[in-house]
Amino acid sequence: MTRPHEAVVFDVQRFSLHDGPGIRTVVFFKGCGLACVWCQNPEALRAAPELAYSADRCLAGCARCVEVCPEQALADHRAQRVDWARCTACGRCVEVCPSAALRTIGRTVGVEALLAEILRDAPFYAQSGGGVTFSGGEPVLHAAFLAGLLPRLARAGVHVALETSGHYPFALLEPLLPWIDLVLYDVKAIDPARHRALTGHDNAAVHANLRRLLATGTPVQVRMPVIPEHNADSEQIDATAAFLRGLGVATLALLPYNHLWEAKLPTLGGGRRPLGLRPPDEAFYAGVQQRFARAGIAAHW
Amino acid sequence: MSAAPPLANASTPRPTPLRAVAGPASAPPRSERVTRIREDLLAAPYRLCTQKAERITEWFRANGVRPPLADAIARVHWSLARRAIARNLGSGAPQSRLAIAANATLQRLYLWCEAARRREPPIAEHAHALAYLLERAPLRIHEHELLVGNASSQRIGAPIHPDYGGLLLLPELATLARRPVNPLEVDDAQRRTLEREIFPYWFSRSVLARAPLLARDPQLANTLVAGRRYVLTQFAGISHVTPDYASVVREGFEGILARVRAARGEAAGRDAAAFYDAAEIAARAAIAFGERWRRHCLDEAAREPRSARAAELHAMAEAFAQVPARPARSFREALQSIVTAHVLVHQESFQHGVSFGRLDQLLDPYYQRDRAAGILSREEAVELLACFLAKAAELLPLFNAMATEYFSGLSSASGITLGGTGPDGRDATNDTSFLFLDAYDQLRLRQPNLHLRVHPASDPRLLARAHEVVKAGGGMPAFFNDEAIAPALERAGVAPADARDYAIVGCVEWGVPRKSFPAAGAAFVSLPAALDAALRRAPAPATIGDVADAFVAELERTVAEAAHGNDAIERAHALHRPTPLLSLLVEGCVESGVEVNAGGARYGTTGMQGVGLADVADSLAALEQVVFEERRLSYAALLRALDDDFAGDPALAQWLAQRVAKYGCDRGRSERWARFAADRWCEIVSRHRNPRGGRYLPGFWTMTTHVGFGRRLGALPSGRRRGEPLADGISPANGADRDGPTASMLAAVRATSDGVANGLCLNEKIDPWMVQGDGGTELLVALTRGYFAAGGMQVQYNVVDPAVLLDAKAHPERHRDLVVRISGYSAYFCDLTPEMQDDIIARTLHGAAAPPPGCQAGAP
Repeated sequence: MTRPHEAVVFDVQRFSLHDGPGIRTVVFFKGCGLACVWCQNPEALRAAPELAYSADRCLAGCARCVEVCPEQALADHRAQRVDWARCTACGRCVEVCPSAALRTIGRTVGVEALLAEILRDAPFYAQSGGGVTFSGGEPVLHAAFLAGLLPRLARAGVHVALETSGHYPFALLEPLLPWIDLVLYDVKAIDPARHRALTGHDNAAVHANLRRLLATGTPVQVRMPVIPEHNADSEQIDATAAFLRGLGVATLALLPYNHLWEAKLPTLGGGRRPLGLRPPDEAFYAGVQQRFARAGIAAHW
Repeated sequence: MSAAPPLANASTPRPTPLRAVAGPASAPPRSERVTRIREDLLAAPYRLCTQKAERITEWFRANGVRPPLADAIARVHWSLARRAIARNLGSGAPQSRLAIAANATLQRLYLWCEAARRREPPIAEHAHALAYLLERAPLRIHEHELLVGNASSQRIGAPIHPDYGGLLLLPELATLARRPVNPLEVDDAQRRTLEREIFPYWFSRSVLARAPLLARDPQLANTLVAGRRYVLTQFAGISHVTPDYASVVREGFEGILARVRAARGEAAGRDAAAFYDAAEIAARAAIAFGERWRRHCLDEAAREPRSARAAELHAMAEAFAQVPARPARSFREALQSIVTAHVLVHQESFQHGVSFGRLDQLLDPYYQRDRAAGILSREEAVELLACFLAKAAELLPLFNAMATEYFSGLSSASGITLGGTGPDGRDATNDTSFLFLDAYDQLRLRQPNLHLRVHPASDPRLLARAHEVVKAGGGMPAFFNDEAIAPALERAGVAPADARDYAIVGCVEWGVPRKSFPAAGAAFVSLPAALDAALRRAPAPATIGDVADAFVAELERTVAEAAHGNDAIERAHALHRPTPLLSLLVEGCVESGVEVNAGGARYGTTGMQGVGLADVADSLAALEQVVFEERRLSYAALLRALDDDFAGDPALAQWLAQRVAKYGCDRGRSERWARFAADRWCEIVSRHRNPRGGRYLPGFWTMTTHVGFGRRLGALPSGRRRGEPLADGISPANGADRDGPTASMLAAVRATSDGVANGLCLNEKIDPWMVQGDGGTELLVALTRGYFAAGGMQVQYNVVDPAVLLDAKAHPERHRDLVVRISGYSAYFCDLTPEMQDDIIARTLHGAAAPPPGCQAGAP
């Protein structure tokens, strides 16, 4: 377990240009309350650090990892190296792997260390109107940690954006809002049953929290991942538009689907399956955009 | 969460863009004329040009000092030594001590014979030979062009300079047209003349031949072709200068001649008198050359059946009635004056790094005046500038096979500097700054080099336009930070006003235009080769400090050796190959009566480049961490692994490459070692003085020497394998910059200081997909601005899709005009060596589908 001033982060990606305005650093937290079938970051779902293994980087004839594994979770076989059920992510194999074919996903960071890491690119934030974006996983699940970090960022003049699913008690988000400049808020499926089927939970909390969030006056950009065959037929578009209009939301960012996350699956445990969707073409998104327009929502992508 | 961050940085291939990457929105339509000129140049074969070689050889054979005894011995000497020289130059096979001693003895004999019979000093001979050449150089007017002047006798030509290092081509004459990289067409008559007349005359008289006589180490001739620890370039010519074209435009050669006569009145001494005599000959030859051009344009006009073209030819003749003899009166005359001066300089000097300076500052008054007078439209001005830029793409440097490896891309590196601040410290952006970008955008050829000076108050529209031009590929312009560069020049002894007026010489070298002879490309030193030697000299170091000390000691030895060798070359230039015409165009020479190679310039420095800084930093970091801290293996075991290129322990190579944070990840350790090595490099180089009394100035730019040095170096503690390229410029090693451009930019900032007085080069690759649209342009501007706000000095962008590069390698015929950024210059991708093409592709791919272990190693 992490303490309040610590969090498990699996990546800090600099020079991000598509997660809020300007040049940004995106901090990816581990752990999420939902489990979307298209999740772009399957390595983020679990809260604890975990092992990843890339067979293509593994050196032939090495097998040092097999010798050090205390759980006998590693086999002397490059293609099927890891018995995920046995692995406890203790990290001993990672320490001896020369080619970094074995890696631990997620490291525990403290407020000071993460702050320093974020502030490295401060000259670029200043010139571009950029800043930091907290993403994940679900960053709001690390509310206690963020409560320590966000005021420090505000003092340093860094623009803060939050990418969130909205699936948690609002009491977690509320105290953070004074320190947040922009919330990027996802709506994934308008129908509760379908939402449950696609993400594991219904959307009651997501919708209620969006309403409350908008009432606070915090700048919000609502976004919708567009997943062909799952959440973007005409009926759902119309219903989504009606819901947004009811909240006074006039614009929507459409997030085009890409299937690159599926390449991550063989490196991870957890038994998730590929979705098998091909990314749609431009005309598909233009159609979605038009349907939203007819329903009174200015969608863009 | 719907954002799609990669599993780890850069580990995921980028998604296919949904929309095509748009070109710059405001690119002006290319005029028909510019299109045709561009197509002609892209289609023109590359040919050897022997015009200068033939004419000056004729002159010297008829008029030079040729004592009969020396002449007779030299004939025998040439026939005996020819083969050994060819072998030495061709393969780097060392000449025996005996051969070197015999050569030197004979050379001294010739010099002694010549001295006894000499009637005129060398500077007078070279002035006469230049005048002779200018009376006979073929004048060529190409279809469509509005500005004329041909530095070579070919449309795209590589002039050979037998008086400098032309002999280097001796072993390749027969294969020049067939060599796999950069073949040059050469006809039988040229080959015969070179073999029978030109080489036999110059083999003992060139700078290449005479420099070793002046060297402390008689083995210099062998060192010049070894190419492992350092390379010296100036036996091929010094060049690398921004001549005072402003004075040619504003005063004309008649004005300059008047200054020569006025200065002469005050001068005393035989050397000064000889200098002024030669200067006068050169100035008059330049004036006569303009008159030849005027008559030639009239002749062509008379023969021209199409009235529109005839009118254009008459307009050219009219321009030559005024320039370059007298002050330019219009934008067009100013440009024609500069083109003519540039052609003149290249009849004397080697085509490398002769730069134009701050042309927007020089030309804008002419543009404004013509616009106000209603005699020039903006479109006409852009078209004229495109014709002007095309002129710079007509010259190729002549490189032999070895030089092609070290300086791949055929850049004659003629720099044009835009933007910056004026004498009042305010932003100097003007209309002509934009015109240049528009003209380049239309033309998009490999030359000239466009450079943009940036400061906090730079016109945001100019920055936006420049970055928009960069986004369309081609790597130009490159960006330079006034706030970091002017202080570096001041620290190197430049007066504050001159430092504020800096312009880029050649690739990235910041220098004082018009007043300096910076010899900026004199030497390149392989820093990892020094480290490699140090590792072998320090058999059992107890600490990483001991290794670092050994490295510094080795670096001191190498730099001293390179500087002494270069000193000999510079002395040979001053003694045997004075350049009276160039001396007219470098402030200080006419005033002092001292020729430019002899030290007449106001600033007379020499540049020396450190190559492979990132490799040294990564290697020292790896040694420190793995051998001295983690103690994973012994120092001796590491050396053994390096010796067999990790053949016995591939896991070790992986460990070193993957588990030690690399320079460019901005994690601290490697950047600290980079700063250590960079600071020592700057101190050591700055200690030396050249024969002109100027300082050696340290730089970090490589051209493609990082490939040449890499090929000749074994494995390194960084995990780099034997023969692989070193890192280019101040950039991270290939694949080590996985945290993206902000991290590698800040690493470069942390590694360097204002001690870097001769320029540095940071390559950043940008995926075109990331910076689409106007919003993308703004982000790219902010990237440059952020880097400069943090203290960065220079950056250049390759905005190119790796898929395009791969296709160009497979199908060169489809991508003849694909321009990529190399070091401080751009080149056609298809002109590069295969090794350099691979290097560029690797640089652009940056570890696709690979996790970033080096960067991931632990928390920062």
